[in-house]
Amino acid sequence: MAILVPPAAEAATPTTDRERRRKDQQRSGGRKIGSHIFLLILVIYFLTPLWWLIVASTKDTAGLFGGSGGPLWFDGEFHFFDNIVGLFTQQDGIYWRWLGNSFLYAFAGGIGATVLAVLAGYGFAKYRFRGRSAFFSLLLGSVMVPMTALVIPTFVLMSSLGIVNTAWAVILPSLLSPFGVYLMRVSTQDAVPDELLDAARVDGAGELRTFFQVALPLLRPAIVTVLLVSIVATWNNFFLPLAVLSDPNLLPVTVGLNNWQALSNAGAGGEQVWNLIVTGAFISIIPLIISFLALQKYWQGGLSLGALK
Amino acid sequence: MHAAGRSLPVGGRRRTPDPKEKLMALTTAPARSTPPTSSAARTKVGVDRIDRKRQRWGWLFVGPFALVFLGFLIVPLAYAFWMSLQTSTLATGTQFTWFANYGKAFTDPIFLEGLARVGRFAIVMIPAQMLVALAAAMVLDNLTTVLSKFSRLMIFVPYAVPGVIGALMWGFLYSPRFGPGSDIFSLFGLDAPNFLSQDSIFGSLVNIVTWQWSGYYMIIIYAALRGVDSSVYEAARLDGANSWQIALRVKLPMISSSMVMVLIFSLIGTLQFFTEPQVLRAVAQGAIPVSYTPNMYAYSLAFSYSQFNYASAISFALGIVVFIGSYLFLFLTRKQNGLK
Amino acid sequence: MKSKILASVGLIAASAVVLTGCSSGGGGGGSSAAASCTNEIVNEDAAQVTVWAWYPAFEAVVDNFNNTHDDVQVCWTNAGQGNDEYTKFSTSIESGSGAPDVIQLESEVLSSFAIRDALVDLTEYGANDVKDKFTPGSWEDASSGDAVYAIPVDGGPMGMLYRQDIFDEAGITVPTTWEEFATAAQQLKDAGTGGVLANFPTNGRAFNQALFAQAGSVPFTYDSAKPTEVGIEVNDQGAKDVLEYWDGLIKKDLVTTDDAFTADYNTSLVDGTYAVYLAAAWGPGYLQGLSDADEGAVWRAAPLPQWDAANPVQVNWGGSTFAVTEQAEDKANAAIVAKEIFGTDEAWKIGVEQSALFPSYVPMLESEYFANLEYPFFDGQQINKDVFLEAAAGYEGATFSPFQNYAYDQLTEEIYSMVQDEKDASGALDDLQETLTKYATEQGFTVE
Repeated sequence: MAILVPPAAEAATPTTDRERRRKDQQRSGGRKIGSHIFLLILVIYFLTPLWWLIVASTKDTAGLFGGSGGPLWFDGEFHFFDNIVGLFTQQDGIYWRWLGNSFLYAFAGGIGATVLAVLAGYGFAKYRFRGRSAFFSLLLGSVMVPMTALVIPTFVLMSSLGIVNTAWAVILPSLLSPFGVYLMRVSTQDAVPDELLDAARVDGAGELRTFFQVALPLLRPAIVTVLLVSIVATWNNFFLPLAVLSDPNLLPVTVGLNNWQALSNAGAGGEQVWNLIVTGAFISIIPLIISFLALQKYWQGGLSLGALK
Repeated sequence: MHAAGRSLPVGGRRRTPDPKEKLMALTTAPARSTPPTSSAARTKVGVDRIDRKRQRWGWLFVGPFALVFLGFLIVPLAYAFWMSLQTSTLATGTQFTWFANYGKAFTDPIFLEGLARVGRFAIVMIPAQMLVALAAAMVLDNLTTVLSKFSRLMIFVPYAVPGVIGALMWGFLYSPRFGPGSDIFSLFGLDAPNFLSQDSIFGSLVNIVTWQWSGYYMIIIYAALRGVDSSVYEAARLDGANSWQIALRVKLPMISSSMVMVLIFSLIGTLQFFTEPQVLRAVAQGAIPVSYTPNMYAYSLAFSYSQFNYASAISFALGIVVFIGSYLFLFLTRKQNGLK
Repeated sequence: MKSKILASVGLIAASAVVLTGCSSGGGGGGSSAAASCTNEIVNEDAAQVTVWAWYPAFEAVVDNFNNTHDDVQVCWTNAGQGNDEYTKFSTSIESGSGAPDVIQLESEVLSSFAIRDALVDLTEYGANDVKDKFTPGSWEDASSGDAVYAIPVDGGPMGMLYRQDIFDEAGITVPTTWEEFATAAQQLKDAGTGGVLANFPTNGRAFNQALFAQAGSVPFTYDSAKPTEVGIEVNDQGAKDVLEYWDGLIKKDLVTTDDAFTADYNTSLVDGTYAVYLAAAWGPGYLQGLSDADEGAVWRAAPLPQWDAANPVQVNWGGSTFAVTEQAEDKANAAIVAKEIFGTDEAWKIGVEQSALFPSYVPMLESEYFANLEYPFFDGQQINKDVFLEAAAGYEGATFSPFQNYAYDQLTEEIYSMVQDEKDASGALDDLQETLTKYATEQGFTVE
């Protein structure tokens, strides 16, 4: 705890301070290099399969299976734009319909799930209402039963509501994000001090105003995280749409590409569309990457405590 | 021992906490904002009445979520449970058999083998993902260079790849003759192993999941780290702590509630392991039987063999195991998990 | 922050509006399979029959039907291929709604759906009137005892496709018996060109079963008239002989055991790692789609090797049918669609030329056009005349169990253990017998 150095020793500190600072810089310089090497290794590990995907999208089917450059490098021919054109023409350009569906489901579902999770997390964190712990336990418990158990009952439910094989069949269940609620609850507890809320209440603000004007700004990084996670989860959702949608025009891109893969696996003649599958896969991950880039500025440091400084 | 909270003037802004006091608070207990004890200025009865009325607002906030939760989770779950209490054979139709299916499930060698397998996965996969995620998040928290920003995105990108697409990719990559395995391993002068054989499929799956999910956990941990007041680090540094000590003794405890949350969801996800082995089956049908994990077993019982009732029971049986495991874990970490 | 929330709410509201616009009539309750047709309806007033099928180029066949039938129109969607479609079908059976009127089903799964009372016995709807339009083998596959659960569409009579250039290089003559096949395999290995003669996939399922059948194996007996009785004999002598034969080849490294229908398998087919592709009649189409670039390869077709050259046995791998579901409201019209959609010469012209299907439809099989069809992929060889017509004619049909999926999954596991040296061929099949018997008994069947 020696922050305040007794004056008697001050005369001795300048040299030791400078030495310490120099050592610090050397150490941190070395550490910085070590950190960067570590990051570089990680980046290579995470990127290699994606590099494969990029390279593969420039090949046609024959090139994929017998190309000259090997799997990690380009062929002699560059088919990327041919593949894109192929994506427009295969089945009347249904790929773009699929992509649009994914957008719709992911954003409607993701934003909806975030709104619900933020509200619910705040409610759990800052209020002590009757049944709170019971409900929260139920929430956690429900995550533990695997979704395979839920498909048939959900299908029956949707069937009776008449929404099976429609977009609602995918969006409504996607509004549930128990993880989001958990995350928001923990973040709200950490980032929104009760004192601040009390202060606002004493100042005469109602509960809703307190929520919107005091709590929400503090929760921005957490909200962005939940938003991103919900969008990705709904975008990547495969099993639910597979089970409840039979109209190919309503499929998200995950199920659609899987259909094409099944078709190519056992298909005859012109149905071998491996090149389109690979190119389609590549294009399908771009929107999420763009979303991440767009949202990442909300994570620039120290926002959560901004109100207190 | 919460010096920072005690001296709060009502209605004013909190004074900037003295880093030293904050550090002291940290070294004794994980930092969390705690509610002040009821202010002596208000009477007990009045407080209770206002308090209760205010607490009911909680239901309003939780309401919309609760509605969807009830409709799309509880109701189907109840129906699924009801289904699991019946038995339906292909030949003889449906009868109500109470908990016979559960007895069958917990003595079913296939189910138990699957449980043991996901247990092994949990022991290996969770630390693997966590270590990578934690290390990456800590390193990224320290740096602001272009490489670090780029890395942050790149580490996250695999998470953005849907399970099906990922498995498609890895199916190609793991393929003995078609993938780059032999090229890469020959760089080190080694022979590429057969990634899809019975012996190596475990490691191959661990690799896919680590690749796909570490970025996700890294983002959560990173967000939590970003939410920490950096003046705490200054205080620690002034006290002579080096980076490792700061990382382990200061940062980690401060994000402990996020860590526990991430671990719990990772545990639940691993015990319910389904997507990656299911999709990889397409290229490894021998090494990955239909009942490789309990969740896959439930899926094939329902959709390949039309045994919906038993499938339901298996799902719930798995849920019971997950439930016990998770609550045990939450209990063991009750000081750090941030739930009050 | 407020504006952000307003924006989000606005977005959700906008999405809601867009959604209701997009759900195109599916929100009205009732049979949701009639939501939208991929094809165009020619006659709006006629009765509509919903069809799920995944045949390539099927839209042309549908249009052909719709243009020639004024009182019935087909509304088609592709609800997925194989197991994906079966998952949806299974879900709709279990929940009581959502199934189409007519559905494409592979013959091997017909019993599994019939036993759940999901399919209509078409003998009530004039199935026997069209019986002689289809090969006896394929009709047998679609029937169970006296009941007819589906109308055959395409079949998979088996033959052998081989690389002439590799054979020439290694000095191999085309084998006509399995004994010659084994010799050829050894010859190829000795020649050192780097590949193997063929692949024996552990996940072959119906492929493995067809090879067993060629030696006389009859694994299941089942009649839907007596739905609770099933005969299981998967470890009969025919099956054991064949599996031991292949185990021998595997142990001598003369064939590989890669999983079928994977990217790796495709590569091996294309680059000559496998010199022979023991294929069904839809095999050529599959090969063609993969490998247009390989100019050096010379592919030819020959009949499948036989155990006894004097008494050839023809076998079949795969093949699909159209069945009418119990959930169909207008069963009579649904039956008409099932019988006639692939029941005309015009439809089959499309089927052969554009979908690369092998017909079970006799008029097409017996036509000059089909017999003389030259396949450019085989440098003009008339593969139908040479190989597949005889295979189709000689095929007598097979019986599948009502739990065929389970049986195939277990077969895959047993063969895999055999390949891993955990048991021998005989042991693997005996274990399979035991597993299946136990399962059938648990499911309430009386096992003979």
